[in-house]
Amino acid sequence: MAHSAAAPQVEQYNYDIVKKFAIMTIVWGIVGMTTGVYIASELAWPVLNFDIAQITFGRLRPLHTSGVIFGFGGNALFATSFYIVQRTSQARLWGGGLAEFCFWGWNAALIIAGIGYLIGITQAREYAEPEWYVDLLIAIVWVTYFIIYVGTIARRSQPHIYVANWFFIAFILAVALLHIFNNLAVPLSFTSTKSYSLFSGAQDAMTQWWYGHNAVGFFLTAAFLGMMYYFVPKQAGRPVYSYRLSIVHFWALSFMYMWVGTHHLHWTAIPDWTSSLAAAFSILLLMPSWGGMINGIMTLSGAWDKLRTDPIMMFLITSLSFYGMSTFEGPMMALKSVNALSHYTDWTVGHVHSGALGWVAMVSIGSLYHMMPRLWNTTMYSISLIYVHFFLATIGILLYITALWVSGIGQGLMLRAFDNFGNLKYSFIETVIFMEGPLIARAVGGMFFVTGMLFMAYNMWMTIILAKSRPESGSSVAIAST
Amino acid sequence: MADQDGKKIKDPLTGVETTGHVWDDNIREFDNPLPRWWLWAFYMSVIFTLWYWVVYPAWPSGLLEKGYTLGTKTITYDSDAGETKTTHWNTRALLAHQMQTNKSELIRQKMVKEIAETPFDTIAADPQQSKFVLAYGKSIFGDYCAACHQRGGQGVIGHYPNLIDDAWLWGSDVSDIETSIRKGRKGNMPAHKGSLTADEIEQAAHYVLSLSKQSSDVVAIEKGKAIFNTKGCSGCHMPTAMGMKALGSANLTDHIWTQADVNGTDDAGKKLAAVKQVITEGIQREMPAWESRLKDDEIKILVSYIKLLSQN
Repeated sequence: MAHSAAAPQVEQYNYDIVKKFAIMTIVWGIVGMTTGVYIASELAWPVLNFDIAQITFGRLRPLHTSGVIFGFGGNALFATSFYIVQRTSQARLWGGGLAEFCFWGWNAALIIAGIGYLIGITQAREYAEPEWYVDLLIAIVWVTYFIIYVGTIARRSQPHIYVANWFFIAFILAVALLHIFNNLAVPLSFTSTKSYSLFSGAQDAMTQWWYGHNAVGFFLTAAFLGMMYYFVPKQAGRPVYSYRLSIVHFWALSFMYMWVGTHHLHWTAIPDWTSSLAAAFSILLLMPSWGGMINGIMTLSGAWDKLRTDPIMMFLITSLSFYGMSTFEGPMMALKSVNALSHYTDWTVGHVHSGALGWVAMVSIGSLYHMMPRLWNTTMYSISLIYVHFFLATIGILLYITALWVSGIGQGLMLRAFDNFGNLKYSFIETVIFMEGPLIARAVGGMFFVTGMLFMAYNMWMTIILAKSRPESGSSVAIAST
Repeated sequence: MADQDGKKIKDPLTGVETTGHVWDDNIREFDNPLPRWWLWAFYMSVIFTLWYWVVYPAWPSGLLEKGYTLGTKTITYDSDAGETKTTHWNTRALLAHQMQTNKSELIRQKMVKEIAETPFDTIAADPQQSKFVLAYGKSIFGDYCAACHQRGGQGVIGHYPNLIDDAWLWGSDVSDIETSIRKGRKGNMPAHKGSLTADEIEQAAHYVLSLSKQSSDVVAIEKGKAIFNTKGCSGCHMPTAMGMKALGSANLTDHIWTQADVNGTDDAGKKLAAVKQVITEGIQREMPAWESRLKDDEIKILVSYIKLLSQN
């Protein structure tokens, strides 16, 4: 690669902030995923509750989801988006210390919210559990993020804005909109941790799932597509497959996602037309979603051999495969007839994790491995450990989603099974007994994935230590991919 | 797609040109067209969506009577008043329609009606009906009763009564069981730690155990008998110690123990301690009323199910 001049880069770009976010990505990844493994284990072995309210499933679950989505995913997005916007604009990050504010504000919000969950402070809105005071902090951080991002793009020395940045801007704008509207609430008082939503009843549910699904759409999909659009061509050393496809699928994705949230509320007390509208838009969303997968995977054409020789490429391409699979599964589950079976079962949980572990985590991990040696101007401590991480992660995900297909589809079928007399064949508890085996397998799958993360943390730690111990290390980035 | 700052490059591998944009030294884009299969699949999804929107209620509009498009699909069902109605597709009508036409549901409804009109003894004698009760009852029992009485109805000693042994605190007739389920029960035995001395409690316990031949301490039994008959025990458990249905007081002469786990140990000391514990602390327990949560048909089936369980 051409970026061999190390010394001027340090001045040209603000890498310090990227490093901070990258480190916190790993920290939150391990905290959030370990919590996930623990609550998965509680479901498999309920004795692990130990009758302590603070560590029961209901309290720890939001810690897990916030930890992995906003802690791991959020920090990964800050890190990569600040890295990408600087490099594709060839401009230093705008706003000076504002980026530092984003770092401390974002992570403080997560810690305050997380401690709150354990002692029972929650809005009880899925993925929007933090109470009003944390929401305000997040809103300020987010607006700052937007200003920094746009400020940096305005400084660019390139006439065009790279596709990755379109996705990041769409993500930042949409999340601001979603976060602010879904969290409109009235606190009991300025000293109270409790607030009440401005919405009520079916409108409240629909607002929440408009938010909830677009957290998936813009936070976990669009933003990570931005990540993909930079790191895949960079790591492959090949041009992006199709500029036209990137335009069409960007606009289609941005337009369609906003309509589909209500598919989370199929067969509930909402008007039937809202359900049909959301189901139909979910089907419309399939091909725009796949546009990103095609553009990513086809970018590798001409360099397929890298799938054998480059573990970072393995992470990135596997992530796109899981992305393609879960964006196919999603619209299917959004059809009302399929949803009648899948809703409230572990199939949903498995689907979320094939997206969250397979797509979001794997593309982030691949991107981090790509950035690390460049940020610290060194080489990775161990390439073999990246292979080990890749296989642990892949085995973990496969075990996880397969187990929950069995558990979810199995339970769904049991709940609708009739005997010769037209009676329900199984009581609820019998379906739970059936789920025990799959739930154990799921917890073990999660353990594989976390173990992989520990290898990554070790590899990263050693890379940084070695880089600091020899400040005059090689100026070129000698990693397998280059 | 010509560009002022970059040159289009022809890829030696595929022969495709890039757009001419370059970022970060070496990120370029090919000028490939949209993949044909992708484009056609997208068109297909658009066609599917349009069809879906025509068939089902899908779009809101203040101009329409209902406030939304009704769609072309209709559902026919019988209303509660017995009229046949045809309406646009909606989930309420769908449920009504399915409950009136689904084959399994029709068999079930016929059987439920049959059970509701049949006395228990006839049900028990009819293999078809008792099979139905056992199948239907299993899921109601599993959903509402098993959390306390356990899936097999065996209960938990010291907490929830066993429903499959021969002892019935509140009566074993079908009507008694039905009352227990409908109205719930409140079991209350007072604590005696204030009214009896430790010695008296021990002696009473010896007497109670002797009723089922599990104590041979003649002196204590004799004293205990006097305490039982004069210090309040016989008021509920009756002078015969056979219990009283109206109060739900236990028969102490059979070998069945639901509170003190006497049968769970061979150690005479532990048996004694278990009985003493109950006399000392008393018992307060409650079974909730199900009248407002279960339908009459379901209660009938549940009663028959429990009765069949205890007979088998």
